[in-house]
Amino acid sequence: MKTLNFSFSTKLTFDDYVHDHSFALRIIPPDTESQKILSCSLNISPGVTTKQTVDAFGNNVTAGYIQGDHRFLDFEIKGTAEVDSSKHSTFLMPCYRYQSEYTEPDDELKKFYVELKDKYMGDASEKAAYFSDILSDIIEYKKGTTTTATTAAEAFALRSGVCQDFSHILISLLRMDGIPARYIAGLAFCDGETHSWVEYWTGDHWEGIDPANNCHVNDDYLVISMGRDFRDCAIDRGVMFGRYTQQLQLVRSVLS
Amino acid sequence: MTQQNIEQFTKAVGNANEINELLRRYGVKFGIYKNGVFNEQFFPFDPIPRVIASEDFKSIEKGLVQRVNALNEFLFDIYHEKNIVRDGIIPENFIYISKGYLAQCEGITPPNRIYSHISGIDLVQAKDGEWYILEDNLRIPSGASYPLIARELTRIAAPEAFSENEIVDNRNYAQLLKETMEYTNCGGIRAILTPGRYNAAYFEHSYLAEHTGSVLVQNDELFVEDNILYHRTYSGGKTRIGVLYRRIADEYLDPLNFLPESLIGIPNLMEVYRSGNVGIINAPGNGVADDKGIYYFVPKMIKYYLGEDPILKNAPTYLPFYEEDMKYVMDNLEKLVIKDVAEAGGYGVVFGRELTKEKLEEFRRTIIAEPRRFIAQEVIDFLDLPILDNGETVMRKADLRAFVLSGETTRVWASGLTRFSRNPDSFVVNSSQGGGFKDTWVLK
Amino acid sequence: MTTISKEHSDRLYWLGRYTERAFTTLRTIQKLYDKMLDKSKGYADYLKCFGLYDSYGSNEAFINSFLYDGSNANSVAYSLERAYDNGIVLREEISTHSLSFLQLAKDSLAKSELSKNTRLSLLPLEDQLYAFWGCLNEYIYNDEIRNIIYIGKTIERLDLYIRMAYPFDTTQKEYIRLMKNLERAPKGTPYRYNTANYSELVKIMENEDGYKQNSEKVIGCLEHLFEPLEVTV
Repeated sequence: MKTLNFSFSTKLTFDDYVHDHSFALRIIPPDTESQKILSCSLNISPGVTTKQTVDAFGNNVTAGYIQGDHRFLDFEIKGTAEVDSSKHSTFLMPCYRYQSEYTEPDDELKKFYVELKDKYMGDASEKAAYFSDILSDIIEYKKGTTTTATTAAEAFALRSGVCQDFSHILISLLRMDGIPARYIAGLAFCDGETHSWVEYWTGDHWEGIDPANNCHVNDDYLVISMGRDFRDCAIDRGVMFGRYTQQLQLVRSVLS
Repeated sequence: MTQQNIEQFTKAVGNANEINELLRRYGVKFGIYKNGVFNEQFFPFDPIPRVIASEDFKSIEKGLVQRVNALNEFLFDIYHEKNIVRDGIIPENFIYISKGYLAQCEGITPPNRIYSHISGIDLVQAKDGEWYILEDNLRIPSGASYPLIARELTRIAAPEAFSENEIVDNRNYAQLLKETMEYTNCGGIRAILTPGRYNAAYFEHSYLAEHTGSVLVQNDELFVEDNILYHRTYSGGKTRIGVLYRRIADEYLDPLNFLPESLIGIPNLMEVYRSGNVGIINAPGNGVADDKGIYYFVPKMIKYYLGEDPILKNAPTYLPFYEEDMKYVMDNLEKLVIKDVAEAGGYGVVFGRELTKEKLEEFRRTIIAEPRRFIAQEVIDFLDLPILDNGETVMRKADLRAFVLSGETTRVWASGLTRFSRNPDSFVVNSSQGGGFKDTWVLK
Repeated sequence: MTTISKEHSDRLYWLGRYTERAFTTLRTIQKLYDKMLDKSKGYADYLKCFGLYDSYGSNEAFINSFLYDGSNANSVAYSLERAYDNGIVLREEISTHSLSFLQLAKDSLAKSELSKNTRLSLLPLEDQLYAFWGCLNEYIYNDEIRNIIYIGKTIERLDLYIRMAYPFDTTQKEYIRLMKNLERAPKGTPYRYNTANYSELVKIMENEDGYKQNSEKVIGCLEHLFEPLEVTV
């Protein structure tokens, strides 16, 4: 068990005024079996009233609406959490057993799985570790080759990508194997942005694995949101009006 | 109702063709795209009504109420405990592979636990008089406005038909709808959300808004603030909406929860809904229950949830997913009708007997490759209905869409939309494919 | 309880304008038709009022174009089509009944084009437009909604009368109507006038001389009557 101080901030800047801006943030970490949020504060600028709901996947959603003209949207969370990766969540939504938009394999990825599946026997944990090993051998961690819209099949074809792509490919393989898997967005020690990893169902609980770093998830990982794939977990989504081209900056840090 | 009565009535209305004139006058149209061009067409009306005897209707009514109640139970179960899957009545993958299943709706309980407020159940009558369910439409079934206004006009054009026959008045649909909307109202005005005047059913959206006293809105007039859905007024104010009868598909409803590219949705509507601050008619996620694959299981649902025997029958259906059924389908493909579960509106329907030998073999392979994608049904020998075609009576295929409204109680509208095929060889009655409609008389 | 959105209020306003434009154009063309019985190119002055070029050549060509040609933005057919276009999205405000008279008017115009006697065939069209206005009064219970349509209608009528140089007393009557309608528009709505243009309009319309000398200014005031006031800091 570990106590983590976390902070995360995003600055969205627009090069022209926008208005009628609706947004939904999935940024407040949820309380789960393996993490307890001791404190958490959220600041949003420009000042706006927001409402909290919990979505179908258990994520905290912060929804807001800014009617008047504005040129930026900044938000920041700060807080303290107690993480204990030896404890596990035991609630399974059956939808995690099925492929979703980002993880749907194409023929090539299916073929890859078929070739792989007989080479290794074992339980879900061993399989997940094995798939993760293979991926770290053949997929190059490289920024700029993929975007947030890249699917598992597309990233696999490129043989490169970032943590999001590693997660999607691993989820796709696990689900082809009949192992329920879910996408996690969160904070970890390894990089300066948000991180993504995977949880798989062992048969009676969820267990984390970080395919981009090919390692197990420990007490240095803080879950912010979870879902079938990236789409359920986007940190911020918004709809706004105006003439602009969007700019995005991310800054964050996690401290023990 | 005797044949003579029908002929008398036909003379009074049909030959004069006055009703079609009146329908034109009142703008009873539906929109259709062809080669990318939008056209508004008048929906052709046939003056010879479909007549349903009182006793017959009573049993249909009971069967429909039973079916819709079971479907509502099923939807609640699927988005909560999933007992029907756990108990092995429905295989899990039928739920989660269905395009209509929306994981985002897990755990949401709509106001009063009602999911399908307006159900459009398609039935056909076989030559032996038996009624069969063809399809359940639990998302945004359309068509009630056409018989509604047609009745208003036939009473003008042929008053004697109504004074001489004991016909149940069907002009209460708007009232039923209004009550259903009010029962789901979470505090605020009633609104009907339309994708716009270029939608095929725009006439219906505006007509129902007028007759239920609802505001007809498009998404750019609405916004969500503090988990409340508002209508933006021209003076810069806002009016709270308590119930939204939306006529746009689930995927487009909220770009922050479903398709991000949707331009006709309302951002954060799902948060309002989840918080219990707005009723959405029908509930998002209903597609999982009217999926053509799930159709097979509806009689089992009735037994499972209500402990009753189904009153209305499904058309005999086979799921190639089951080995036994696959064998039957392969052995009898040329006499079956095959439906692609992902298609709607009369598309994706293939009659085995219409295929050449090569096509049949090709189709066989497709079914074997993707058994979950198809259902197969026996071709029901429809009872044809008389249609007036250039002054002559001809017989055509027809179905009946019954409307079931679920509010404080589940009620069946004593009428329905009878659609017919204008092509003598066709079984497809959809308006988008050139069909027409009739009034449906339920006798007292 | 009624709630009127910006989109619908625009539609209501333009429904008023286009129906009025169709109606006044229809009546004017009929007067011209009568005049043309004794005079070739009897439409020349009319074109001049609107700054339009004579590409017609004959009385008949002019009549055909200004009544039936939907591609001529000054025709009855065009205005009716636009009126219907606005009306069709206002069914729940104006009622199916009211809307049906616009459909009937469109049908009458189409029939008239095929008819041998133009004037006679236009009579039902005029009746149907009167019936449309009667229906609006009958079926719209919300004065705010009806008033927006009437503001559009009177603005349009005033604009056309001034362009056609109608005598002051006729124009003034319509002007007074407009003033009454404007007073009914609730504060904070887009039909609460721009005070600068409003006071100029009032000043000019005070007497006949002002009207005769400044008719172009009046048209300008009407055009900008609902523009938001510029805020100077």
